[in-house]
Amino acid sequence: MKKTTFSTVFPRRTLLKAGVAASALQVASPFILTARGETPIKIGMVNPLTGVLSALAKSELDGAQYAEAEINKKGGILGRPVQLLVEDSANDVGTGVQKTRKLIDRDQVDVILGDVNSGIAAAMAQVTAEKKVFHIVPGGHTDTITGVDCKWNVFRVCNDTTMDTSAITPELVKRFGKKWFFITPDYAYGHSLQDGFIKALKKLGGTYDGDYLPINNTDFSATLIKAKGYKPDVLLNNMGGLTQINCMKQIVQFGLQKEMALGGALFEFETVKALQPDAQAGWWVMEWWWDQPKVPEVVKFVADYRATAKKTPSARDWFGYVSMHTVRVAAEKAKSLEGPKLAKIMEDLELPRDVALQAAAVRYRAGDHELMPTIFVGQVHPPKAGPDDVFSIEAEIPGVEAAGPVEDTGCKMVHPA
Amino acid sequence: MLTSIIYNVANGLMLGAFYVLMALGLSLILNLSNVINFAHGNFLALGAYLALELSKVMGFWGALLIAPLLTALIGVLVELLMRFVYRRDPVYSLLLTFGLAFVMQGAMLWWWGPSPQAMEMPDILNAPISAELFFVNWYRIFTVVVVIATVIGVFAFLRHTRVGLRIRAGTLDLDTVSALGVNVKLLRTFNFTVGCLLAGLSGVLLTGKNGISPNMGDDYLMPSFIAIIVGGAGSLTGTLFGGLLIGITAAVTGAIYAPASEVVIFVMMILVLLTRPRGLMGEEGML
Repeated sequence: MKKTTFSTVFPRRTLLKAGVAASALQVASPFILTARGETPIKIGMVNPLTGVLSALAKSELDGAQYAEAEINKKGGILGRPVQLLVEDSANDVGTGVQKTRKLIDRDQVDVILGDVNSGIAAAMAQVTAEKKVFHIVPGGHTDTITGVDCKWNVFRVCNDTTMDTSAITPELVKRFGKKWFFITPDYAYGHSLQDGFIKALKKLGGTYDGDYLPINNTDFSATLIKAKGYKPDVLLNNMGGLTQINCMKQIVQFGLQKEMALGGALFEFETVKALQPDAQAGWWVMEWWWDQPKVPEVVKFVADYRATAKKTPSARDWFGYVSMHTVRVAAEKAKSLEGPKLAKIMEDLELPRDVALQAAAVRYRAGDHELMPTIFVGQVHPPKAGPDDVFSIEAEIPGVEAAGPVEDTGCKMVHPA
Repeated sequence: MLTSIIYNVANGLMLGAFYVLMALGLSLILNLSNVINFAHGNFLALGAYLALELSKVMGFWGALLIAPLLTALIGVLVELLMRFVYRRDPVYSLLLTFGLAFVMQGAMLWWWGPSPQAMEMPDILNAPISAELFFVNWYRIFTVVVVIATVIGVFAFLRHTRVGLRIRAGTLDLDTVSALGVNVKLLRTFNFTVGCLLAGLSGVLLTGKNGISPNMGDDYLMPSFIAIIVGGAGSLTGTLFGGLLIGITAAVTGAIYAPASEVVIFVMMILVLLTRPRGLMGEEGML
């Protein structure tokens, strides 16, 4: 019998021809010229489309793609169509940085968006600042991104962890008590979040204990045994994505929700929907919420989004949507796509109401480039009026109030000369 | 303190049971075919997704029976691919299963989407056995019972049946087994299928405590490899012992210093490789 080898399947001549053709393509392609007006404005998105945060990343992508279609339908940006290029960071810092460099150096993108993982977002910011590319962080929450490590070119859509913890802490203390137990992921976001909680809790005279666990932890029994022994008033599940789901499932299996209140900063729409009804519980922050019947722009957006994307938008969808429109608004105001010009024009710029999608005005704060939206504090519950009705807003906290003064963030913004 | 130790050792045994089930399947494939199956975690996820779909029609108990069998059936098809690389350098099979892992994950991502999903368990399994032993619910007891029954079944099969005897003999010297007229192709297919069946069963059992997502098996793959290395490649008893040992170590470390619960099993592997490279019960020259 004839032995099957690589060379019999792919003969040398075939490989040589393929090589020559591929090389010719590289040389020939730059000569295909198009009119400037047809050259798309490229926006590169780096997000963890695989891994434990993939559901959140996909929602941000959905929102960004929805905005891309909407912007192109209305004539694009500066008369040019918009093209969103997407790369998977695979929830890995090295990969995220490599993909960012690829988008900037090879694909020549004008703007970078990303990443859900704060550690990756922070590393990407080093690259974008070095390359002088306008960078929007749609959903990486760690304080330092717009705090001590803030950069002239980096703007953030989601709240920082201080904003979320400042918004929910008084509510949890008032309703349940001051003795807390944290279950927190052991990476940049988790540390930033828990530090924020501890700071806010200590102000109110609270005490705490807790565990930092690996970001992709699968079994929480040892920590839950510890939590039960501590007898806290509130058990805070600070994990994210799939890990938060696993943690909630195990909390409910151990019956801990009957002995202590559940809560934390984020329990995102995607995560809540993935859980069984008895685990849809606790007091949390939503950074944006689809059910705002008194805001006509939101009602219209949700109806249109459902019709197009066949899903109800979450805060993550909104992050992606706002990020893309931020580029549009900034470019049209600055009449340019140069990073320094875009960055300068965005400072203190108020977002249009059909982008902000909430009752109060929303703007990027000049001092730290953090978006200042309304923070929705409330209770997660099993579906009521419909399958997506899983959260009731109990308080609306202005972002500026929760963020505190710019000086407290540690950000010292330095613009390029 | 003593109560805490007892709690966490018991918890570790339960955690180790998952590793045992996963590692047993991996070990079977490695021992006979000399293939390190990087896609094993994806068979676990596939088993979980199939169970999710089947549970909508036949409930949890039906899904528990059928989903592993369907996973095994898909394993039969995948094994046909493996035949191209058995006789080549092991790096080929390594690359093939590595690529297969991406293909399977991508396919599950495409079909079921990136949002995690949850499978409802019967109420009886969710109930704790007592207020004092709150961390031991019927689901965990049930899981341990299923794992024990499966392990006994696999060991009995290997010891007391002709096919089992051939698999054990093939582990030692497949060429001689082939020379004696045994259909080695069929033997490998059967063995690979059993490995996939065990991965599928692990997936169904895991839905009780974890959400279902395309990458849910990734976090169990590495501990399962470590269980094999610590226990000793080539020894199924070693794999059993290794799985339980890393389960207990991870759980007890988690109770003392939680951030180290993951890294401790890697440290354990390094120590074993440095002091006894063939593993605690392994045979010389297997790795």
